Amino acid sequence: MTQAPDSVITDEMRAAIGVEGPPAVMEVEKTNCRMYARSVGHTDPIFYDEAAAKARGYRGIVAPPGFLGTPIFRPGGSGAVPGELGGRTFSVPYKRILNGGTDYEYFPDPPDGDAICAGDTITARSKISGFEEATGSLGPMLITTRETTYTNQHGKVVAKMYGTLIQY
Amino acid sequence: MAEPFQITDEMRAQFGIDGDPWTYEVTTTSVRMYARGIGSEDPIHYDVDFAKSQGFRSIVAPLGYLGTPVYAPGSNDPTFGFPRRAGGPRLNIPFLGLLDGGTETEYFDVICAGDVLEETSHLADLKLKEGPRQMLFMTNESVYKNKATGKVVAKQRLTSIHM
Amino acid sequence: MGQVYFEDVNEGDEIPQLKKNCSTQQLVLWAAGSGDFYQIHYDKDFAQSTGLKGLIVHGALKNAFLGQLLHDWVGEQGQIRRFGCSYRGMDEPKQDILCRGVVKKKYSDGGKHYVELDVWTEKPDGKKTSPGTAIVTLPGKN
Repeated sequence: MTQAPDSVITDEMRAAIGVEGPPAVMEVEKTNCRMYARSVGHTDPIFYDEAAAKARGYRGIVAPPGFLGTPIFRPGGSGAVPGELGGRTFSVPYKRILNGGTDYEYFPDPPDGDAICAGDTITARSKISGFEEATGSLGPMLITTRETTYTNQHGKVVAKMYGTLIQY
Repeated sequence: MAEPFQITDEMRAQFGIDGDPWTYEVTTTSVRMYARGIGSEDPIHYDVDFAKSQGFRSIVAPLGYLGTPVYAPGSNDPTFGFPRRAGGPRLNIPFLGLLDGGTETEYFDVICAGDVLEETSHLADLKLKEGPRQMLFMTNESVYKNKATGKVVAKQRLTSIHM
Repeated sequence: MGQVYFEDVNEGDEIPQLKKNCSTQQLVLWAAGSGDFYQIHYDKDFAQSTGLKGLIVHGALKNAFLGQLLHDWVGEQGQIRRFGCSYRGMDEPKQDILCRGVVKKKYSDGGKHYVELDVWTEKPDGKKTSPGTAIVTLPGKN
């Protein structure tokens, strides 16, 4: 019987739980809404056509489900991947990383919420919710759960993302 | 295979006939993506505040980027993004091979994020190169106007090789 | 498909399925759409160097497929409130991915009509690769 590996969770990591990271600004525009919709294979014209979106009562082209905008890219940055795989990772002895899964929660109802449309600037703030260790078919792994809050340019919380990252 | 391809008078008669215009949009995300794609690190293509401090309206489109055509499923070629529009040339090209033969761009103004351009294009030339394998060089010319000002901002000659 | 109403939905109903089959081209389109350029999704040599058999479909793309499944079902007057999945099994390009959903629960609260669903993607052999859940609101017939 093999011995369980030593825990890779450090005090530094535990101290990071619940602490909000720096905000990331994401831009929702016509070109990136369309690109996302096209890549998924959406057919609803509200994701492509401004007139169609406005006819259905939206402010502009609608961000498809799962799309929260494109982070502002700066060359020479950390090369961090946006969206589900983004966020702080700690130095652990696992070289591989997998996206364990993601949930999106939307708050489209005014006055406190809104739909996400082209022209919006979304500020994303993430925090680590917790760490877990497990051993499975991939071997020993570290599971990090994160929560990201998305606020639009009017200060409304329009969405939240709950993510699971697996390092193994 | 059937008889060798030939350029006909009917095809030549389509030279210069503009298709319907199409809207091309220049956004901050698309300018940055293009700049990132060519590996540029120049902040003029990424940092809006910096670009404005240099006297530009917003971040500058890298050379070669003339906006992204408005896309809708069915309205654009799904691989190349080219708009499928009314008017313009109708050619039956029997060749399956396709290569980019080159692009020339002439600028009349700086193109920046926030610009909305109107593009019209026409077939400008066809040249057939004979050999063990026929090669058809097709040249299209496009004119890009800033929709807000009506001014021509760029012209482009694109050659594609069909073989 | 016409608008679906809260009254017409029953617990246990399966919603219309959505079949996907990703070309390698679609995986490149998704990289552009999502900003995730991780090479295991389009560079076969790289994928194999990490121990994978070949290219795999991004988990996030499968999640987005479930988003489309729900968006198309709830119609113009419905709203997706929450959706997501776990990426348990890997899917490959050029293979059918079937997106499915089943109604688990329906209830009204605060003037809104909620429907909770199990959603998932599955392989042609029926194996569920991305099990998940969703909460939507639907219009009432009045």
